[in-house]
Amino acid sequence: MVEPIFVTGAGIVSAIGVGKAETLASLKASKTGIGPMKYLSSIHSDLPVGEVKLSNAEMMQMLNVADDSQLSRTVLMGRIALREALDEARLTGDQLRRAAFISATTVGGMDRRELFYAQEKDCDALHAAIATQGCGSSTERIAEPFGSFAMLSTVSTACSSATNAIVTGANMLRCGLTDIVVVGGSECLSMFHLNGFNTLMILDSQQCRPFDRDRAGLNLGEGAAYLVLETKRSVRRRSVKPLCRLSGYGNACDAFHQTASSPDGEGAYLAMQEALHEAGLMPGDIQYINAHGTGTPNNDESESRAIKRVFGDHVPPVSSTKSFTGHTTSASGSIEAIFCILAMQHQFLPQNLNWHTPMDEGIIPVISQQTEHVCEASAKNIDAPAKVIRHILSNAFGFGGNDSSLVLSKCDA
Amino acid sequence: MSNLKIPKCDIEMSNLKIYIQAAQQISIQQPLSESWMMEPVFYDEPLVKAINPSFRDFMAANEARRMGNVMKRALVTALQVLRDSRVEHPDAMMTGTGLGCLDSTEKFLNAMVENGEQTLSPTHFMQSTHNTIGSALAIYTNTHGYNTTYSHSSMSFDLALLDAWMQMKIGKIESALVGGHDEMVDSYFELLKKIGYVGAEGMVPCGEVAVSMMLNRRMSSGQLCELAGITLYNTSSLDELKSNVEDMLKEAGMTVGDISAVMTGVNGNPWHDHYYQAVTNELFADVPLLHYKHLFGENFTASAFGVYAAAHCLKKGSVPSCLYDAGTPRTCDTLRTILILNQMNGSENSLVLLRKV
Repeated sequence: MVEPIFVTGAGIVSAIGVGKAETLASLKASKTGIGPMKYLSSIHSDLPVGEVKLSNAEMMQMLNVADDSQLSRTVLMGRIALREALDEARLTGDQLRRAAFISATTVGGMDRRELFYAQEKDCDALHAAIATQGCGSSTERIAEPFGSFAMLSTVSTACSSATNAIVTGANMLRCGLTDIVVVGGSECLSMFHLNGFNTLMILDSQQCRPFDRDRAGLNLGEGAAYLVLETKRSVRRRSVKPLCRLSGYGNACDAFHQTASSPDGEGAYLAMQEALHEAGLMPGDIQYINAHGTGTPNNDESESRAIKRVFGDHVPPVSSTKSFTGHTTSASGSIEAIFCILAMQHQFLPQNLNWHTPMDEGIIPVISQQTEHVCEASAKNIDAPAKVIRHILSNAFGFGGNDSSLVLSKCDA
Repeated sequence: MSNLKIPKCDIEMSNLKIYIQAAQQISIQQPLSESWMMEPVFYDEPLVKAINPSFRDFMAANEARRMGNVMKRALVTALQVLRDSRVEHPDAMMTGTGLGCLDSTEKFLNAMVENGEQTLSPTHFMQSTHNTIGSALAIYTNTHGYNTTYSHSSMSFDLALLDAWMQMKIGKIESALVGGHDEMVDSYFELLKKIGYVGAEGMVPCGEVAVSMMLNRRMSSGQLCELAGITLYNTSSLDELKSNVEDMLKEAGMTVGDISAVMTGVNGNPWHDHYYQAVTNELFADVPLLHYKHLFGENFTASAFGVYAAAHCLKKGSVPSCLYDAGTPRTCDTLRTILILNQMNGSENSLVLLRKV
């Protein structure tokens, strides 16, 4: 029997709120955070985005830091989320010396770099420092005000980055390298990846519609979320109250294409199977799946197949909460893990907004009772769960087929 | 075919050793070769691009055209390591890269700014995420196992190596392809020069990195050495570092006296080298000192060259004279173990312990 891993703290910021309380309220009220572009400056301002509803200056004020042009939005959001997670887990000063910090990002400080790019040729050392803020420096800067962690690490596997940071942290605990890890990711919107996704023609000009027949792409979002994971021994020693367990995790590679998923969702299938296997669970033990569900024609079809391959005819309620936040890319894995924790703590199923029409052989997600289309399957999937939610599966799939899944379980389950 | 990973328990945990089975490099030295041991190439220029091998020997011309340099080099070193180790599909692939496909990233960024976010092509964006390299290795070799990428400046490779080591320790995997890969472009070199990372007076050149190695829990006939320990630690305290070294050695059943040589990432940049000097003077004053960056250059994943070079020295049973520090006695009479030190910012440290098989 492997040692259980407990989640003892969680902090989050996304388009639907700063902190877990606001996030929970938005999820329960089915209130999306996707809307017109306000903080990012781009000519593609007609594209809806899931922005955190704070300017950089407002975030600096919240964090009580002086105005600093070097601080990327990734760092600012990361600090807000990390602060909440550490507070909840009562991890301060000296105790951080026992903890590893593993943060995920891909964009890193690109938001700052693109602002000053035109002047790079003749820039001074300060602006060269801004221009060269890579993924690693975002992790260091996020951690900086909180004290000195035992170790720092940055995972970058595109849209599954935060999930893979959780996987790395869990392996560290299992290996006995440390007994506390702080894991998750942060990613701000940037012109760079907005334009990148736009050239791939996978951005919906309307609110994204995951798993809908007429879905036309994703909306980009931003945010940050961190979890504190601890061994049982550490939980006892520190007398902290766990929120839930991380009972399983899986990482597999689709090995199909750099920016597309295989038709049968092989990587996704393997990741889900491995996570269930590690959790010692059968598919029938899962009461809710938080899907990757980007809203692109390719992902939702591939993921539907993969889910059906794992769950057969007994697919539990599924939803994509990217209809609330947009696709928060490198942060999505930890943001959605916290949505799952909230769903478990408060026993509700987050809805899949904007869903109207079933896909051919697609999964039918959790929708509100008010939706016009109430078929037999969805009648079961109203937002009050029929069963107690004990185990949740959360998926995150990245470019290059870097696919990962987590299983979160109630402490007593 | 599915290769679902189920924890493998057929190897006794108590008898758990991890071997570096094969290691290959493409760098500013001769590619896919250990000729640097006898005939090292030295450069005066501050930025030197890697010497490419004949890519045609490994992939079709149309495939090569679609990939940037860093991807081609990563793929070639990986394919050669798979051949050397006779592992077709490793259980896991861990990639470290500081900047990923830098050339593609810079091209997309430049086009986006120059064209005012219009008329952009997706090609460079598709190859701009840091995990493009690691997933290209999986796609090319059709490997469905664990696949991840670390991008943490100069610790990127060490974190990839640590991941493989951890998962072997807990019995999740038996074999892992671990790599460190970085390229450099002129414009970005100029920025890094301004912040003093490369291009300083008296410093080794900025180079390019492609290193792949196969880690395996199974002993084979040709393995290079044993990976006897790896520790990453964030501290600027020499005392804490010392106790970390001692803990790692203890776990490997050794003491400081058992270390045949210490290899560091000294690169001629005084702003950077004094961290190493403090550690080596304080903790390893009597141990022969080796360096590798004067041969392979500096870049974010250059620490992979240290592990690569030390592994080949242990296989050979001797240290080529080109690796010795100028002030150290050029003798490792009984080469048993090499400790490789890597650090960044004077606080993030990596200690890798390799032992002769």
